[in-house]
Order: sequence, then C-alpha cells, then structure tokens
Amino acid sequence: MKKHEYSLQGASITKLYGNAAVLRDISLSMSSPSSLAITGPNGSGKTTLLEIIAGIQRPTKGTVQLFRGDTGLRRPWFQETGYVSPRLRLYDELTAEELIEFTCASRSTSRDRADEFLSMFNLLAHKRKMLSQYSSGMAQRLKCILAFINEPPLLLLDEPGSNLDREGKDALFRYLESIRSERILIIATNEKEEADFCRERISLG
Amino acid sequence: MVKTIIAHIKKDFRIEFRNRYAASVSFSFAFTTTLAISLAAGGIPFSPQTHAVILWIIMFFTAMSGLAHIFVREEDRGTSLFLQLNSPPLAVFTAKLLYNVLLFFILQCLILPVYLFFMQLDVQSPLFFLGYVFLGGVSLSSSLTILAAIVSRAGARGALFPVISLPVSLPVLWVVIQGTSRSLGRAGFSNPGDMVFLLAFSGTITAVSYLLFEFVWHD
Repeated sequence: MKKHEYSLQGASITKLYGNAAVLRDISLSMSSPSSLAITGPNGSGKTTLLEIIAGIQRPTKGTVQLFRGDTGLRRPWFQETGYVSPRLRLYDELTAEELIEFTCASRSTSRDRADEFLSMFNLLAHKRKMLSQYSSGMAQRLKCILAFINEPPLLLLDEPGSNLDREGKDALFRYLESIRSERILIIATNEKEEADFCRERISLG
Repeated sequence: MVKTIIAHIKKDFRIEFRNRYAASVSFSFAFTTTLAISLAAGGIPFSPQTHAVILWIIMFFTAMSGLAHIFVREEDRGTSLFLQLNSPPLAVFTAKLLYNVLLFFILQCLILPVYLFFMQLDVQSPLFFLGYVFLGGVSLSSSLTILAAIVSRAGARGALFPVISLPVSLPVLWVVIQGTSRSLGRAGFSNPGDMVFLLAFSGTITAVSYLLFEFVWHD
C-alpha cells in the first residue's frame, strides 16, 4: 500500500441556494490519517458539503484545498478522491468489468487489483453481467469498488452502507479499517455504525 | 489524457451499440425521408441546387436527432456525476466531440449511398462533393456538440436545442449547400474558399467550446 501524506483545508465554506443558506461558515482541517463523520438531519447540507469538497459543486463563499505535502493540488481532484453517493448513477448498458476498465483508464491507474476488489465485495462472479441486472445492493458494492480502485488518499462516502446487506457492510468496513491508518476519510451518515467508525464527528443543522 | 479520451469514446460506442438509440433514430429518419421524397418525385429530375438543399435538410435533421443525445443521455440517466468524478472536463468534451464526428461520419456513409441510389443522383465532381459533405459534417458535429452540452444542463431541452442550434448551424448550411450544389452541377466548379470557411468555422467553434465547456460542465 502507498503511504499518502495529504491534508485537507476548508475555510468558511458557505453555500446559499437563493437566500437560503444550506451551509454557513464551515471550516475543517484534516491530515492523513484521519476520519470524520458528518451527521445531521435530512437537508442539513451533508451531501452538499461532500460535493463541495469533491469539487462537484462550488461554494458560494469559502475555499477548500487539498495538499500533497506542502503542495496545493489543482482542482478537480478526481484522481485523489474516491466518492460514493446515492446520487451517483452507473451505466446500465455496461458490465462491471467494462466500467472498472473505463474508470481505471480515466483515472490513469492499473486494473491489476480489479479482481481482488470484486472478490472482496463478492461481485467476481457477476463481473460480466450488465448493470441493468444488478440489484441496488450490488450496484452500491460496485460504486465502492470504483471509488476505492485507484487507492485515492481522500475518501468521501455519502451514506456508504445504504442498500448494503450485512455481508456488504462487513466487506466495506473491513476495507475501510485496512486503509484508515493512511487516508483521509469523511463519511456523511445518520447510521450509528458508520458514524462510530470515525474518530471525529461534526453535526450540521 | 489520450488514454482517457479513448476510454470515453469506447464506452460511448459500446453504449450506443447496445441500445442503438441515436444511430437507429437518425438513420431511420434519413432513410424514410429519402424514400418518401424519391417516391413523391416520381422520376422528376431535380436541379443540383434542389438536390443540395434536400440532401442537407436530411443531413441537418439527422444530426439534430442523433448528436444531442451524447450529453442529454448523461443528464437524463444521472451519469454525468460519474463522469465529473472520473475525468477532467477537457477529456470529456474532446471524447464527446470525437464521438459525434465519428458517429455522424458513419451515418453519412450510410445515408449518402441511399440518397445517391434512390434519387439517381449524378455527381459531376465526386471529390469536391465528398469534401463538402464530410467537412460540412465536421462543422455540424462540432457546433452541435457544444450546444448539446449547454442544452443538456437546461430545463426544456427538447424545445431549446432546435432553437439555439439554428442560428449557429445556418452559416454552415448556407455555405455547404452552395458548395454541394456547385459540385453536383455540370461545370463541376468549386470554390476552395468555402472549404476554408468550413475548416475555420469548425476550428473556431471547437476553440470557443474548449473555453466554455468547463463552466457548462461544472455550473
């Protein structure tokens, strides 16, 4: 495993939709290894905060920066970020194998560990099935594999356990446990098990 | 970057090959229209200018029905977030542009023989004719790709695309119809300035698209 030395700095992150503030002056500072749970009621801005950190949304005010050592990285950080979200949709016309091939080519990373990840999440036997034949739980496992496959230093997981059965959650937490000593991990959740997994916690709303 | 672009094009052709939405809709439109005009004409010979107008009306609406799909499909199915997370905007746009140019080229290769056969068209300057058809195709594909990206982020996509694509496509259609008409005529005369215009138009539209796309994609 690669040893990453990264830090994430967020200052005064504010997001307004019209006049309504979803996030107001959120600041955070994390260095690898660290883990943070973001909790809060529905609509409190958990997903918005993760999307701002991932570079999918721009904050109305404030900044988010990711550093490798002392070097600030240019956005978007897609090669440094693994993102799992219920909002993420996959291509129904592709197989898991093809989607992994596409993701690895897009992120300029090797496919060598693809079968290992598929096996870890019990999808190896289903890798040549079209995603239209996948259940929501299988699709969630595949989203986790796609987020983890290039071993990014920053993992942003929005309700990662949603749709997963006990076996899927165990596989997820086994993997997260194995990497949490070297990565920055942020989980947005209202599940106690997921929040308790993290060393720090903030509550929004 | 090149590997990323190739991966995108491969993925898009795989998806198109499996659902055949854009290709089948576009080709069905072109085939039906050509057949209907040929039957309605009943052997009446058309002037080169009329042929050029009919051919480019078919080409234009074929492009309109197929090329917007590349971005609209990502938005409709919610997969654009997946792309945003995996690729830089430049790679996404380049791949979509090349995919549209290639798809429209394939469609043109299917439409042209059908049109030539059913309309019994006699081309006087085949090289100029093919040059106009394919350069016109590249110009249309490049302008419709960025418009498709803009429209895909908007609300009333179906209504918006024809409205905003008309003023952008009109100069291309004007030049390409004149050029095609000349290449079909007896004199076989062609003006190289038209071809330079088509190349310059494609280049300018592509350059502007690269400046614009990141804002369209992320905002």
